[in-house]
Amino acid sequence: MSDHREFEAEREKIDFLLEKGYVIKGVTENLSGAFLEFEYKGNEHDQPGKERLHILHPDSRKYFSTILVQQQKKQGVK
Amino acid sequence: MADLSLNLAGIKSPNPFWLASAPPTNSGYQVQRAFEAGWGGAVWKTLGEPILNVSSRFAAVDFNGKNVAGFNNIELITDRPLEVNLKEIYETKKKYPNHAIIASLMVEPTQEKWHEIVKKVEDVGVDGLELNFGCPHGMAERGMGAASGQVPELVEKQTMWAKEVAQTPVIVKLTPNITDITFTAEAAVNGGADAVSMINTINSLAGVDLDSWDTVPNVAGKGAHGGYCGPAVKPIALNMVAECARHPKINVPISGMGGVSSWREAVEFMLMGATGVQVCTAAMHHGFSIVEDMIEGLDNYLEDKGMDSVMDIVGKSVEKYSDWGNLDLNHQVVAKINNEVCINCNKCHIACEDTSHQCIDMLKDAEGNDILKVREEDCVGCNLCSIVCPVDGAIDMVEYANGKPPMTWNERQAAIGAASSCDVNLIK
Repeated sequence: MSDHREFEAEREKIDFLLEKGYVIKGVTENLSGAFLEFEYKGNEHDQPGKERLHILHPDSRKYFSTILVQQQKKQGVK
Repeated sequence: MADLSLNLAGIKSPNPFWLASAPPTNSGYQVQRAFEAGWGGAVWKTLGEPILNVSSRFAAVDFNGKNVAGFNNIELITDRPLEVNLKEIYETKKKYPNHAIIASLMVEPTQEKWHEIVKKVEDVGVDGLELNFGCPHGMAERGMGAASGQVPELVEKQTMWAKEVAQTPVIVKLTPNITDITFTAEAAVNGGADAVSMINTINSLAGVDLDSWDTVPNVAGKGAHGGYCGPAVKPIALNMVAECARHPKINVPISGMGGVSSWREAVEFMLMGATGVQVCTAAMHHGFSIVEDMIEGLDNYLEDKGMDSVMDIVGKSVEKYSDWGNLDLNHQVVAKINNEVCINCNKCHIACEDTSHQCIDMLKDAEGNDILKVREEDCVGCNLCSIVCPVDGAIDMVEYANGKPPMTWNERQAAIGAASSCDVNLIK
């Protein structure tokens, strides 16, 4: 798999959770890459849930953090 | 013609090109020759207690057929009595009143010594003083030059002592042989410096002879470290000038030097915050007449830019220089290979395959010709292929519009910190 395809695969996993309504509750970065903690609060149809993604690719780490920065800007998080 | 005249902390010269304190400014004869050739100013070879020099003093580093890519010297400050130098300074200044003569000074780090030399030198009408806290060899072993220039407290104190009696602007010349030059530059400012200059030479050993195993240069088979300068040191010097120029507490003019060989480097230094430049190695390599091309090139550049005065370019690039953490992580450039220009030497493919990100493929076009193609999605924009390419126009690095908003490392880390410490409702 080319480097870029690795990124695409990880981006799809992130997008999948975000589209289902999960939010990133935390980011832990260490020697192995980034670990994203996702949480879904649930609604009348779906149960709450938690997911964890291990992100390896540098472009994926840029990808989720770009989303994080933009969302926080919109929400006025300081 | 644009106005090339310079004003550095009150020191005026007809153009921004000064000879640095070094062998080219050893005597009145040389400095007068330089002024005749067109140099705007000269920093007289460092005055102090006359020293003794060794024979076999210079060495050059050639690289790939280019002579004097770097230059190394183990010559010390002036070996002539102060009175001889002062007489020649007086005569030169009288003959060239509109040119800048700055006296470079180096004495033992005591108040009395600084007071004594400053008073004596100013009596002959110099336009300014440059305190030599930079020479890395010989004098440093005696507690002067770089030895005192590496200690911020000594820089501040000696600057203060010079300033206590100086009537002319005091420039403090800094050594690059230190981890962070802004520490000593700030110390100079705290001591009252009117300007700082940088860089002095870098500790160096030019080479070792593979047959004799002697160092290059050597004195009767024995060597000692020298000071390195010339084109090879320009990037180091330019960064140090830029770091000082953007430092909020270093709010005095900077005289830039280190590898200035043509008007181009001069403009680079000035854009990065230098108010004028000093030159040595290029003059030693090619003679004083190089200043003619420097003046003409600078004038043409200013005319092309529609600028009236050289002072207007000082510092124009400083705001474009920052910390790595403020760079946009989402900015993207990719390599584009122009196969009509490419000679298929494959240097780019080899460089990318062996030492970068393996994104240049060797393919055949429809006619069966060898072509090279970049997989843009895998190209990280490192520039290596365009750097190693021997043909102009064969590889361009072009901006790739990825549609992503700017994001710096600092913004990213702040966002991750905030995500971990508060309940961020993150929805794509």
